[in-house]
Amino acid sequence: MSLEDVLSSRLRIKILKILLKMGELNVSEIARRLGVNYNTTSQHLKILENEGIVKHKMFGRIRLYRLNEQSPKTKALQNLLESWEHSNK
Amino acid sequence: MYQRSSVFKDETKLDISYVPRRLPHRDQEIQLLRQFFNFLLQFPGKMAQRVIISGDVGTGKTVLSQRFGADITSEASKLGVKLHYIHVNCREYRGSLFLILHQVVINFHPNFPRRGYSAEELISILFDVLDEENAYVILALDEFESLVEREGSEAVYKLTRMQEIRHGKPQRLSLICIIRNLKVIERLDASTRSTLQSNIISLEKYSKSQLIDILNDRVPLAFKPSTVSEDTVNLVAELAFSEGGNARFGIELLWRAGKYADAEGFSIVLPEHVRKAASSIIPTVRKSEIAYLSFHEKIFLLAIARIFKAAQTAHITFTDAERAYAVICEEIGEEPHSHTQLWKYLKNFAAMEIVKLEVSAKGARGRSTLIYLPRIPAEELEKELSMLLEKDRRSL
Repeated sequence: MSLEDVLSSRLRIKILKILLKMGELNVSEIARRLGVNYNTTSQHLKILENEGIVKHKMFGRIRLYRLNEQSPKTKALQNLLESWEHSNK
Repeated sequence: MYQRSSVFKDETKLDISYVPRRLPHRDQEIQLLRQFFNFLLQFPGKMAQRVIISGDVGTGKTVLSQRFGADITSEASKLGVKLHYIHVNCREYRGSLFLILHQVVINFHPNFPRRGYSAEELISILFDVLDEENAYVILALDEFESLVEREGSEAVYKLTRMQEIRHGKPQRLSLICIIRNLKVIERLDASTRSTLQSNIISLEKYSKSQLIDILNDRVPLAFKPSTVSEDTVNLVAELAFSEGGNARFGIELLWRAGKYADAEGFSIVLPEHVRKAASSIIPTVRKSEIAYLSFHEKIFLLAIARIFKAAQTAHITFTDAERAYAVICEEIGEEPHSHTQLWKYLKNFAAMEIVKLEVSAKGARGRSTLIYLPRIPAEELEKELSMLLEKDRRSL
């Protein structure tokens, strides 16, 4: 997937911002913060995961998502988001 | 700005949450705990341990466990063993196994959701988390009574046995159960009792001279040099001894006496400050225990305190208390809780020894429950609760 495809969704950018702020969250909580339903959130998380930008761990039925800090793509996006937030302060 | 000088060097050393490096007169017990848990450092995962620490209020149960926890985790980290000591006050979580376990899990995953699974699932999640981190936990269940009262044998059984059925997997969860009275254990069924009862450390009440040693250990940490005389320490120890050898009471009394000295502009803490502090302190019931009550429990207790303050009688009835509670609820715009719920609250106050309950002789309108407030000055209780409720409301 190209960069423009990944970043073409407001929800995906919001997910990245949420995970950057919170560190780790389950799908329902991400959905609640986005104000959209579980399935939509899950689909966007899947896209981000396929790109290696986020990763998840399963504990029982609970799926916890976090940024994949090993990925250079994540690092680049993290820098972008942080610089953006910083310059908007 | 002019700042008044204080007798204190560092008040936090007298705080309830402060864990001193040295615990006078508890060396043997610390050694015993080390013996019980030594294998955890040598052969992590081979077995789990369960220890009961029992003793009256102020005998050092909590601080003993916390000191041991800090020592063993630092030793473990030197050996490369990921050992976590997690201290949970069961009463703070209303004795709910689910909430207690959730507290343990959020040590590893701070945003772990609070809903969507059962306590059993949470136990198994906890083991998954520990397996994943290759970590071991010593879980100290303070005020264990609260868990037993709410959940009974089942919860304790699950906690102890669920890891035993994880065939071939490391034993990751050890328990320290902290209780006031061993009688609580008798309420558990035989098989649960047998999983707990092998290692018991019973703490004796402190003697006056032991209390003096404890206070003398804290004074140089908390106060500036030469601000607390020997007489002052002796009087605090005497009063703490008469409160059932309660070191916590003594330490809090010392702190309050220091506050009185500061307020009156004295550069030393005198026995008179101790006397003033003693008359203002709520004896036997810890402030922290009242702080753990729920919002409506606090309102109900405030109602009881207000009637006692106004009526100056030896006892009141449950109906009186219920009416006064309804008035306060109306004052602050809260929906009152039901009769049955208030009855549960009242039983809890009695279990905490804040009130004493008695059933009246059968009168014209049948029996009624009489409430006594034997130990606490109603005015002090009212003040404390009003302050706590105000704090609760601000944080709502």
